[in-house]
Amino acid sequence: MKEGLVAREVVMRFGGVVALDGAAAEVLPGRIVGLIGRNGSGKSTMFNCITGFVRPSEGRIELDGVPIGGLPPHRVVRAGIARTFQTPRVDLRATVREAVLCGFYSLGRSGFVSSVLGLPSAVHEETHLRERADGVLRQLDLAAVGDLQIGKLSMGQVRLVEVARGIAAGARYLLLDEPAAGLTQAERDVLANTIRVVAQSGVGVLLVEHNFGFVRALCESITVLEAGRVLAVGTPREIASDPRVIETYLGSEPAALAEPA
Amino acid sequence: MSLWRARPNTLVLVGCAILAGAVAARDPAWLDIAIAIVINALVALSVGLTFGQAGILSAAQGSFAAIGAYTTAILTLKLGWSPWLALPFAIALPAGLGYGLARLVARLAPLAVALATLTMSAMIEIVLRSWDDLTGGYVGLAGIPTVWSGQPIAFYALAVVVLAMAVLAYENLMLSRFGRGLTTIRADRARAMADGIPVPGLLSAAFALAAAMAGAGGWLYAHYFSYLGPGSLGTELSISVLLMMVVGGARNILGPVAGAVILGVLAQLLPAQEVQGLFYGGALIVILLVARNGLLGLVRREGAL
Repeated sequence: MKEGLVAREVVMRFGGVVALDGAAAEVLPGRIVGLIGRNGSGKSTMFNCITGFVRPSEGRIELDGVPIGGLPPHRVVRAGIARTFQTPRVDLRATVREAVLCGFYSLGRSGFVSSVLGLPSAVHEETHLRERADGVLRQLDLAAVGDLQIGKLSMGQVRLVEVARGIAAGARYLLLDEPAAGLTQAERDVLANTIRVVAQSGVGVLLVEHNFGFVRALCESITVLEAGRVLAVGTPREIASDPRVIETYLGSEPAALAEPA
Repeated sequence: MSLWRARPNTLVLVGCAILAGAVAARDPAWLDIAIAIVINALVALSVGLTFGQAGILSAAQGSFAAIGAYTTAILTLKLGWSPWLALPFAIALPAGLGYGLARLVARLAPLAVALATLTMSAMIEIVLRSWDDLTGGYVGLAGIPTVWSGQPIAFYALAVVVLAMAVLAYENLMLSRFGRGLTTIRADRARAMADGIPVPGLLSAAFALAAAMAGAGGWLYAHYFSYLGPGSLGTELSISVLLMMVVGGARNILGPVAGAVILGVLAQLLPAQEVQGLFYGGALIVILLVARNGLLGLVRREGAL
């Protein structure tokens, strides 16, 4: 059995548009991998293919050797892959604790009927989930804001809540869609730290990010996409000095290089 | 105290229903009205669950009540079953139909789903009107056996118990991961999928639960009024329970129940049958202007009700 989250030769066609044309990515447990590329290079589509939000036209996506390509999103989550969104999708009136509790959905074992009937097993499970939610809040340093409404948090904290919600159900792989967008430098540092903590606990992280400095500081390996294909794979150092990458991606955004986080 | 915090809606309902029963018991006419209100409240509760929580605007709840009512009427009249034996069937049949319908349409856009429920409702009515042998067609079914020899006060208590159980089930649901899932789906389907929620499956389960509630309402209707025609329950009830839900507040568990009480009492207090619609409509507009989220939306406290 091959360990890791592996996507190979993924093709995604939307009508006549080819969004992915043989793209690939690989994440091992406990590793942080960056996925970068220009707008429209296929990063988000790759994300959506892996998480089941769209069904790839062709290609293999495997989780620890088990094919997961084409499964519906809830099955992908159950298999152990969590994701966040570029624009945080949260109910601003919900409290942080409630948001994290929502992440536990796939962990629940009691059925719909026993929950509706209020059977002791369902009530007990609910108590247990609430305790686990508190554990996740503590792990990510969010315990102090647990009862606050999400609308009252800073953008940096909202992203942390998203990460907490993602890993709540015990995901083994976490896919983050531009988590550093819109954050201040201080918030980015906190987020980077959290991502490292999560990775150290054995979770593999795939990071789609525009901010090259952020990716460079965090990732051991970076995959660059261009026009739906893999342009380059390598360590941050190799990527930063790869002439093709500089020409097509980094060169187009010199500001991204200027700041090595 | 802990029970209050755990299931406040059910306790409020039981408390209010006992008080209302004590007042209504002095006057047979009002007791009759109270029973009708409780039955309406049960169907309104079901539409509150489908729309307020699952986000499905259902125009079929009256028809699900009709299915429950006809099921028990046919089982007791034609097969001589006891009403109690027929009760699980009067609940399960609409639930099964509701589940099937929701499974088919849950992926569609909200408007398409609403139209699908309307179509379903029209189909059910056609079946009820034309299947003469079974449903009595336009004539309907008369002489449906009563329970507890039709004692109004006993029947009121029974109806309240059924309603309280439905509210408790609803409240249990909302305090579970499935309730949180429904809230997430309503706000943002993509978010719900990322949480690992099987969206069509959960919506269908909630819709089935709501149809079951409506079916229980139909069972009460059949055994209280003893007569069932194609116009007894159905589209008209579907629309009036939507009004009750809007007036009381769709998001609050007890909102539709409050709406059923308010509109039920209002209909009695307003003058003259012919111009009643005028006053009724006027009152509705005033309520909605004052409370856009329904009357219970005004008193909503975070974390409770």
